[in-house]
Amino acid sequence: METQLARAKTVSKSTSKLSSKTLKNVLTISLFIAPALIVYIVYVLYPIVSTFIYSLYDWDGSSAGTFVGLHNYLNLLGDSIFWTSLTNNTWVVLTSVFVQIPLGLIMALMLFAPIKGIRFFSSVYFFPFLMSTVAIGLLWVFMYDPINGVINKFINLFGFENIAWLSEANTALIAVLIVVVWQFAPFYMILFKAAIVGIPEELYEAANIDGANALRKFFHITLPLLMPTIVSSSILAIVGSLKAFDIFYVMTGGGPNHGTELLGTYMFKQAFINFNMGYASAIAFVMFFIALVVTILILIMDFYRKKKGAY
Amino acid sequence: MKKVVSILSLCVVLLLAACGVNGGSSSSESASGQSGSGSESEGKKVLEFWHIDPGEKEKIYKEAVDRFEKKHPDVEVKMLRIPNDAYKQKLAVAMSGGNPPDVFHSWGGGWLKHFVEQDKVLDITQNTDFEHFNKLALNNSTFNDKVYGLPLSMTIDVVFYNKEIFEKYGLQPPKTYEEWLTIIDTLNENDVIPIALTNATKWPGAYYLMNFASRIEGPELFDSAYNRKGRGFDDEGYVKAGEYIQEMVERDAFNPGFNGVPYDEGQGRQLIYTGQAAMMDMSISFLNNVRQEAPEFEEKLDFFVFPTVEGGKGDQTQIGGATGPVWSVSKDSKNSDLAVELLKELTSTETAQNYTDRTGSLTGVKDIVPEDPFTKRFYDVVQNATHIQMPYDQTLPPEIAELHKDTTQAIFGLDMTPQEAAEKMEAKAKEVLK
Repeated sequence: METQLARAKTVSKSTSKLSSKTLKNVLTISLFIAPALIVYIVYVLYPIVSTFIYSLYDWDGSSAGTFVGLHNYLNLLGDSIFWTSLTNNTWVVLTSVFVQIPLGLIMALMLFAPIKGIRFFSSVYFFPFLMSTVAIGLLWVFMYDPINGVINKFINLFGFENIAWLSEANTALIAVLIVVVWQFAPFYMILFKAAIVGIPEELYEAANIDGANALRKFFHITLPLLMPTIVSSSILAIVGSLKAFDIFYVMTGGGPNHGTELLGTYMFKQAFINFNMGYASAIAFVMFFIALVVTILILIMDFYRKKKGAY
Repeated sequence: MKKVVSILSLCVVLLLAACGVNGGSSSSESASGQSGSGSESEGKKVLEFWHIDPGEKEKIYKEAVDRFEKKHPDVEVKMLRIPNDAYKQKLAVAMSGGNPPDVFHSWGGGWLKHFVEQDKVLDITQNTDFEHFNKLALNNSTFNDKVYGLPLSMTIDVVFYNKEIFEKYGLQPPKTYEEWLTIIDTLNENDVIPIALTNATKWPGAYYLMNFASRIEGPELFDSAYNRKGRGFDDEGYVKAGEYIQEMVERDAFNPGFNGVPYDEGQGRQLIYTGQAAMMDMSISFLNNVRQEAPEFEEKLDFFVFPTVEGGKGDQTQIGGATGPVWSVSKDSKNSDLAVELLKELTSTETAQNYTDRTGSLTGVKDIVPEDPFTKRFYDVVQNATHIQMPYDQTLPPEIAELHKDTTQAIFGLDMTPQEAAEKMEAKAKEVLK
């Protein structure tokens, strides 16, 4: 009993000693953190706060704005184009998560399949990701051309009529989403490829001894061990698609009739074409807020998944 | 140990302070550096001059600048070309950042007016020689009877057509809308696309709405609607213009998928060059495109002025046009007197003559007759014009201008009835134009 007490005392002493030591270290640590922290504050936190402040003003960008409180946000809720943009953004998110990532995974798995010349394809698959978005956009605008486009010539071979891909609101969104998938699936392929390399060979050997077939091996070894990569890819995909802008701007500019309008393109129009900086800031802040909430939700879900004992 | 820590913390504080001070001072330094360059650096006064045109036009500006520098040996002009797409944003940011160029490019109209209203543009009425400029062109940069910009160039929109195709099917350039429809039907029967339209960019389609509205109700309609003098953008004339457009769309007058085809990339022009399409309503800069992209096509090229409509108040002497470049001086300029002198050189008779002869464009300067026979025909159209309608999207304030282009595109796409589009425009006009 006595010895236990004594031991407890020494433990508490050593922890208090430790904590005072850490306290001293705090300064050293903060010294090392400082450069990154300052950059983070100046280029991330400060713009977020100032965007929110701008969003409370009716401001055209150069003259002094008038304070309007949450009026911009109220207008936003009644703005049908905003809701169209949000719906379109949701489509981008859904395609990224449920088409891009699975496709990336399939491509990564194919790279490990015993097919001759697969190394060649590993480079070919990766090409789209290396190209500049503007170049990709222009390239596909030509390919989608309603009369002389390669894609229409191709579907003509199968007896289909020409489709004016980028000219109707409903086909335009699909057409651009195809390009988005084409461009970004290779990125997830590389992530998954790296993760698959990291899975220990022993697990597969053990599964072989147990007589597992390829499908079981995939669902019981590969997929669970890839889960962390899938989670982080999802976050990247979701946040990336919420702030999507460039390819849509280049290919359709949000048209026709707002059929491919995104929060990003709508914000750009309000800010730099209509000079409604306050309103544009409100859109920007809503984008930030949605991305924040979604990311937090994913992290919470991941936390509980890990708690349940998953890898 | 304690000493080390305190020294370290002191260092951190100093570092932070240094960063802060440095950041602050460096920005103010660059600002003063910029304005310093505007006043006097190395004993020479510096004027900053922003424009957007590459190639031959840039050379002509450069020559004008050289002439200016010869007359003013103590001044150095810094020319900066900013690509068209980025220009509007860049100038808007420079203006609001309080660091604008001394002389800058614009297209006159609502966009320039936006900056005038913010008190960013110098009033140059006193220095303007009204006799020197085409009045219709100068009007586009005159607000409340004050001149804020001098137009070097102007353009008009006409309907270009392929002579060879027209001859082949025995067609004559139409004078009226009815004749135009007959031509469209004939071409469709012969598997030629009647009109090439590249409406992803939205402004090519807007030509039709503006021209129809002007043919139906005369140019007074827009002036009245814009200046809120009784009539509105929901006027019967606008609804009818939209109906004409939709009638053309339903007659397959345009290439399929026109709302998704951008102009600059050139697919639309390709349809004309290859003879797949017979006509295109475009600004006269199209001639330049032809000369650069398909010089052999020029001999087949001809044009007619937008046809009239039955019972319409407008006629073919009322044409659609635009100005640009329009040169202005920013109010914050340190050497505004010199900047105005530069403006005069940039719109001098010599510059204008060079401009029209070497780029096949028209100028905003009076009595500059183009040498080129094709351009001369455009010049004659302008000489006979009783009214030049500047594009709505450059005249109206940006927000409503954008709506005008969006609704017009929707009319073309049959996504919106002309009535709905007109009501939307009027609702926005009530909100924005007071």
